[in-house]
Amino acid sequence: MKVAYLSDDRMTGGTVLEVKNLKTWFFTHRGIVKAVNGVDFALNKGECLCLVGESGCGKSVTALSILRLFDSPPGKIVEGEISYSGADLAKCPVEDLRKIRGKDIAMVFQNAQSALNPVFTIGDQIVEQIKTHMDVSKDAALQKARSLLSEMSIPQADRALKMYPHQMSGGMKQRAMIAMSLSCDPGILIADEPTTAVDVTIRAQIMHILGELKTNRKMSIIFITHDLSLVREIGDRAAVVYAGKVVEVAPVADILRNPAHPYTIGLIGCLPDISTELKRLPSIPGSTPNPIDIPTGCAFHPRCPKVMDVCRKVEPELLNISDVQAVACHLYDSQGSTK
Amino acid sequence: MNKGLALFLKKITGPFYINRRLAKYYLDRLKKNKLSLAGLGFIVLLALVGIFGPLFVKDPQKSDFNINNLPPLGFSIQESVYDIKTDTFTTKVIAGRPDHPLGTDSKGRDMLAMLVSGARISLFVGLLATGIAIFLGTFIGVLSAYLGGWADNVMMRFTDVMMTFPFFLLLVLIVFIFGPSLAIIVLVIGLTGWTGAARLIRSEALSLRTRDFVTASKALGASDARVMFMHLIPNVISLVIVMATLSIPGVIMAEAALSFIGLGDPMSTSWGTILNAGQHSLDTAWWVAVEPGIMLFFTVLAFNFFGDGLRDAFDPKADI
Amino acid sequence: MRSYIIKRLIYSVIIAWAILTITFILLRVGPTSPVDRYILNIAAKGQDVESVKQAIEARYGLDKPIIEQYFIYMGNLLQGKWGWSFSASMPVMELIGSHWIYSFQLILLATIFAIVLGVGTGMLSAVKRNTKFDYAASFLSFIGISIPGFWLGLMLILVFAVYLGVFKTYYDTRFPIWSLENLKQLILPVITLGTGELAGYVRYTRSAMLDNLRKEFVTTARAKGLPERIVIGKHVFRNAILPLVTIIMFDLGSIVFGGAYLTEIVFGIPGLGQVSFNAIFANDYAVVVAVTLIGTFLVLFINLATDVFYTYLDPRIRYE
Repeated sequence: MKVAYLSDDRMTGGTVLEVKNLKTWFFTHRGIVKAVNGVDFALNKGECLCLVGESGCGKSVTALSILRLFDSPPGKIVEGEISYSGADLAKCPVEDLRKIRGKDIAMVFQNAQSALNPVFTIGDQIVEQIKTHMDVSKDAALQKARSLLSEMSIPQADRALKMYPHQMSGGMKQRAMIAMSLSCDPGILIADEPTTAVDVTIRAQIMHILGELKTNRKMSIIFITHDLSLVREIGDRAAVVYAGKVVEVAPVADILRNPAHPYTIGLIGCLPDISTELKRLPSIPGSTPNPIDIPTGCAFHPRCPKVMDVCRKVEPELLNISDVQAVACHLYDSQGSTK
Repeated sequence: MNKGLALFLKKITGPFYINRRLAKYYLDRLKKNKLSLAGLGFIVLLALVGIFGPLFVKDPQKSDFNINNLPPLGFSIQESVYDIKTDTFTTKVIAGRPDHPLGTDSKGRDMLAMLVSGARISLFVGLLATGIAIFLGTFIGVLSAYLGGWADNVMMRFTDVMMTFPFFLLLVLIVFIFGPSLAIIVLVIGLTGWTGAARLIRSEALSLRTRDFVTASKALGASDARVMFMHLIPNVISLVIVMATLSIPGVIMAEAALSFIGLGDPMSTSWGTILNAGQHSLDTAWWVAVEPGIMLFFTVLAFNFFGDGLRDAFDPKADI
Repeated sequence: MRSYIIKRLIYSVIIAWAILTITFILLRVGPTSPVDRYILNIAAKGQDVESVKQAIEARYGLDKPIIEQYFIYMGNLLQGKWGWSFSASMPVMELIGSHWIYSFQLILLATIFAIVLGVGTGMLSAVKRNTKFDYAASFLSFIGISIPGFWLGLMLILVFAVYLGVFKTYYDTRFPIWSLENLKQLILPVITLGTGELAGYVRYTRSAMLDNLRKEFVTTARAKGLPERIVIGKHVFRNAILPLVTIIMFDLGSIVFGGAYLTEIVFGIPGLGQVSFNAIFANDYAVVVAVTLIGTFLVLFINLATDVFYTYLDPRIRYE
């Protein structure tokens, strides 16, 4: 399988992170939950890759798997490779992983109120991260924390440092969380639905900040969302996830104009168009499969309008259908032509 | 009045009877917990012993100094006997006898008989006192939650005050003032032990009070009493059952402790009373202290296992 | 926060008043008046009953209407005139003053023992969830909360003092409080009193830790690259302490004082529990009341301190 690369000259910094056939399963007494069941994608330097999908499709667990942050007694990476900087994050010892967490690869979460520890001040939490990875004095760390908060447009950064999470507004908390994640100058930021839990005005601020990170700091971002409008706003490329697998990868413009996979087509079709009159909102018939009980063959086949016999039996591979687009669907062969 | 009472009782037991699927669900969850079933088994056994036992054993109050300090069957103890004629101590080995299988105490009373009597008392006090305490606690808790406002405030402040008294010290004081009889002990434990139940049930009832079914029944014209008895109480029943089961061990221990320090009913033989006697003969008759303690321990353990299992079975969030 | 503390203080004063009033009511409602009790003892010593009765009535104002008696009672208590212990032939205050230290040392050591071992084991249990260690700890803590404290004391004496001879069977007051010998002879009593507490703390700590281990900020802490021991020991623990502090303090009031009372009696430690116990059988009611009141006020104070301490610990409450 070959993952599609952008042919755009702007983005030839090279691949910084590559995920190959990742499978993270949770072994519970009710059965095996195959939350991530074959995810492939590559992240290039300076680009924003969006992982798109409905709730429960496995995109959050994918994000957690990169830094192996899921609960380990039930969860396990059963297969796959996560290449970063010459190492395989899926298999390397936890000690090595800790050196990367928060320093080279950082993560921000959806709900800042629950993601921040309520009994420590923001300043303390940021300083703690800095001092874990860098050998600096507490004062130097505080200085850095202060400048980070200012960079995030948090007013009165000195006061903010001494505040507890519950004393801050929703937007402030989210920005403080982003500031904390940047404290050790990571090259990669994983943002797990950072705007889902906030209102529209805050959303605009956060998206603006993330955009700045790309341009000013040249960071690579993995942006997880279910909202296609956000994908268009900030994404360079998008990977569509369904039932724990990546079913399509392409630059955002291409995927929105020429979606290849029936699921992607369905998703985009669900967006109501303001220019046409609708009596009912379109939707994809059926519902997302339970990760304990994934259909055989192509996981989408029960809901697919173009389903064929082979779809029920054989899982399609992710294949390039052009220089920049890859799809996992029996409708296409490797030449990109429809069968 | 009688019709109301019958309806109330039906309302409490009804949900388990009518909705058999629910009752079966709870029962299945309970059955998975082997320890709690073992606890239940022991309790049933104890109840049988307590109720029917006294018919089969000797009189626990009958003392016979000729056979005092007999060890249990299978054990023997060395006793120094002073012989006046020869002015020496000789050691005699005394062994247990089958007609006193658990031995006798320093006054020659049969241990088995006393333990059976103790079982009866512990169960009696346990069930009755807990009944009073839980009844009071539920009533106050539901009433307080339902009335709200200053009535709720006053009742909760009163509960606060009663909770400040250390339970055992208060027990001792009241039994000291009013005299140690079984009736007093049961009443006192019941009248002082309701505070924990009141608190918990009140908070549960509070969260129920705001639910729509209460508003609906009030809109239909139900009186306050009716809402309380027909709707709130039946919904806290599972919590009440669990609390009652888990309160019984504390009550049994309280009665045993009172008897142990000599504030028990002098007319009856409870496990605590035996322990009191055994305290002074640790070196000559160790079984007098060991046996009632073992009974107490296993009884409390059984109720704790069973109550814990009940609680897990009723809790929808517990993963069984 | 300051206004909260002041409100709590005022509230505590009100509770204190309610405690004293309830105690007064209990005393006056009782079947035997304090006078009769004194009479019993005086008569036994062969003094003139009538003149003693008159003296007592004058002293306690028992011939006056009950409201006046109430004010005299409150007045006396607030001035520190807590009566005379005729069985010890000294003012009650003095009796308490010479004995409180023994109770204090026992309770302090037992609580430290219970907290250190209990919280530690609970934390390990939570981190090593569902391993053999966890199951063993859970099982042992079940046993710990089910074992009757006073029986455990007797068994420890039986094994270690009577049979093994490692410790003495009685408490020797000759040793100064701060000596090693004193510490040594406190080992068994501390284990007796502390075990029940300890078992409870293991379970509560485990549950509080587990509750917090699944919270999102734990994932964030790991995502920051923090070593696991800091994630658990600092981030999780600091949140788990909050409910734990309340529980530990609550236990202190409801269980520990009762347990200490019994432990003192079993081991013969001359603390306030022993004092009260002796007073009961001498019908020396002033002492019994005094010990009960002391215990209650201590609980009141501990509750107040806990509330204040808790607001300090939880920044969500400290900064509203």
